[in-house]
Amino acid sequence: MSLLRMVRLPPVKPQQLLLPSAPPVCAARRTVIQGEYRRPGQPKDDTPAWMKIKFDFSKGVEGIKKHFMLLRREFLDRWVGPEGKPIIEHMLEQNRLIWEFRGPESLEEWTVSSDREIGGQSEVYLKLGRNSNTCFLYGTLCSTPPKDGETRYSGYCSMRSKQQLASFDRKKHFDWSSFNTLHLRIRGDGRPWMINIAAETYFSHQKDDVYSYFLYTRGGPYWQEVKIPFSKFFLTHRGRIQDNQHPLWLDKVNTIGFTLGDKADGPFQLEIDYVGVCKDYAHTEDFAYEVYKRNPEV
Amino acid sequence: MRCVRCLLRLQSLGVRGPSGRPGPQYAALLQPASSPPQGQVLRHFHGSPACAKRPVPADFFDEGEGKKDKSLVTHDDLFERVARDAKTKATFNKVLDVFTKKDIRRRGHVEFIYAALKKMPEFGVERDLAVYNKLLDVFPKEVFVPRNFIQRMFNHYPRQQECGVQVLEQMENYGIMPNVETKVLLVQIFGEKSHPMRKYQRIMYWFPKFKHLNPFPVPLQLPEDPVDLARLSLTRIADDLDAKVTVYQMPSTDITEAGEEITLPHIVGIQSPDQIELLAKHNPSRPVFVEGPFPLWLRKTCVYYYILRADPAPLEEKTEEPYDPERCFDYPLQLNLELSRDLGDDESFDVDDLDEGPVFAMCMTGRGDQATLNQWISGLQQNNPILGQIPTLFRLDAGPRELQSVADSDPGHGYRTGPQSEAQDGAEPSPEAEPDIIVEEEPRRSQGMKQ
Repeated sequence: MSLLRMVRLPPVKPQQLLLPSAPPVCAARRTVIQGEYRRPGQPKDDTPAWMKIKFDFSKGVEGIKKHFMLLRREFLDRWVGPEGKPIIEHMLEQNRLIWEFRGPESLEEWTVSSDREIGGQSEVYLKLGRNSNTCFLYGTLCSTPPKDGETRYSGYCSMRSKQQLASFDRKKHFDWSSFNTLHLRIRGDGRPWMINIAAETYFSHQKDDVYSYFLYTRGGPYWQEVKIPFSKFFLTHRGRIQDNQHPLWLDKVNTIGFTLGDKADGPFQLEIDYVGVCKDYAHTEDFAYEVYKRNPEV
Repeated sequence: MRCVRCLLRLQSLGVRGPSGRPGPQYAALLQPASSPPQGQVLRHFHGSPACAKRPVPADFFDEGEGKKDKSLVTHDDLFERVARDAKTKATFNKVLDVFTKKDIRRRGHVEFIYAALKKMPEFGVERDLAVYNKLLDVFPKEVFVPRNFIQRMFNHYPRQQECGVQVLEQMENYGIMPNVETKVLLVQIFGEKSHPMRKYQRIMYWFPKFKHLNPFPVPLQLPEDPVDLARLSLTRIADDLDAKVTVYQMPSTDITEAGEEITLPHIVGIQSPDQIELLAKHNPSRPVFVEGPFPLWLRKTCVYYYILRADPAPLEEKTEEPYDPERCFDYPLQLNLELSRDLGDDESFDVDDLDEGPVFAMCMTGRGDQATLNQWISGLQQNNPILGQIPTLFRLDAGPRELQSVADSDPGHGYRTGPQSEAQDGAEPSPEAEPDIIVEEEPRRSQGMKQ
């Protein structure tokens, strides 16, 4: 009887009724099928991929210039040594400065985003600090969820470094495998932040895998040196801690990001002097969380 | 046909008594108008031993019964009706009691729990573990436990499980750690290996790991008194155990002869011996700045502080002072040992030092106008007599208005200074604000400014 009733239903795309666009609540494992984020109620983008490409003559000329310059540098750097440094310097390297903020062009390597893209009302801006040699991230946080009926949480602001690109838009990765600690010099306003490191992954369903850890700020007028061992970073996927943890592999690191989402509505600020990596001989831990069994155990 | 046969069989089970598991429920279904004592017995079957049932006032019963006839009743409505007068934990618990007592089958409990979760912050019970356990107790027990491997393999009662996960997720978002009672309830409701149970295990695994991670912990309950709050936040940002907090002025309300009411804001400052030393060495021809307000967040509270700082000294004025070897006879203050282990043993980063100038003192006040901060500077002069010779500039931003609503009770006094106004005349008092206080401090300050 129930089957008959099912058949008589008008064809209203039952899948859309059953499956909301938000992921299910109880997901601590990665789902295999994933799409890009689409706001509830927004129509699907059906434009073919070739229409999004800009076929422009001036873009082509500029591209040739840029890419061949990059290619030339890549070739010539090999003759000097790994990553364009003499081999002795590379071998004896104890710490490396990854990002420092000295001038407006250093802000080009970063993107900021907030919950505007999911319909929230937070604002985030990035500018240079007072002496134009720091990076000053500020804005207001607002954790009122958008009224689209599906989104339940909102309120985040983040800053993320752009993916490094080699010639012909190939991905370039950071190789930090000879270091074990992240070193930052920051000045915050007492709010806790989160540091997200995205590494290169093999399978496409891991593309949102991010290794995270917390960054606590003291607040006040003094700068704060923070050293975070890479072994403390835990694996998250789309904001959920995963059951199967895995240490962060440092040989192909793509981006690093700072996220604020502590649900305290109001203005915030974070000033960053530099981001570097260093080798801490006193730290011998490989991974801070259990990997020999699942959390929770099955 | 089949339904009738099932019902008949169930009735026979029900007659047989509580030996058959699903029997009593359906027996009650078949005799809707049965006597109340039997219903009481059946309720014990559903309830968990963890939460003892309390008697429910009769008037709520009546309201619930009256609503029963309507086809569409939102559960928000139930909360709204009960909480017309007061939204407290007691009324919230009362609503839960009404719901559990109203219907033996707990019909619509998923919608009820979702509604209750949404209403929890309104009632102020969103951080109460006992209330969460009581809310989980609304689920009927043992009905959603999978009984064979096929049920276990597929998602058994997905809507109910998702609802249970949602309860746990709200606990997680508010940082409430579940306890054994929660676990017992979850096992009774959903079984050992259900999704809510997994969520519980995840919380219990990760919460203790991250519990004491913050190197700058903030107490859960911040002090109510603004002076205590200022003391706490100033010691937090000073980052120096030697730093001394001084209360320059306690908050008070006076009534002058003219009948005007004058509210004096609190002024609390902090200064460490190192800062006093730095200030004593400061070149008196270069000005110092009072800047602010800068925000500081302590969990959900934002407080604002002001700093006294100077621009970095130019290169020609910087002098490396050698350590006085006679300053301490017990141990040398300077050691030059060759401790490098290897060729490239350079642990320092290759960055230019940011020299932003020294910070001499910090303060927090209830009102961030220039007159109040002037009082702070005057108070600082007791320990730092050099401040009388240094010109002081006020660089006050158009402050955030929350400062006044949080710390100051008097909203009438706004900031005198406009956005980014640099008031060069640090000595000029604001006669309309506090005439009787500034007066005695005034001569010293103006002397200092004229140099």
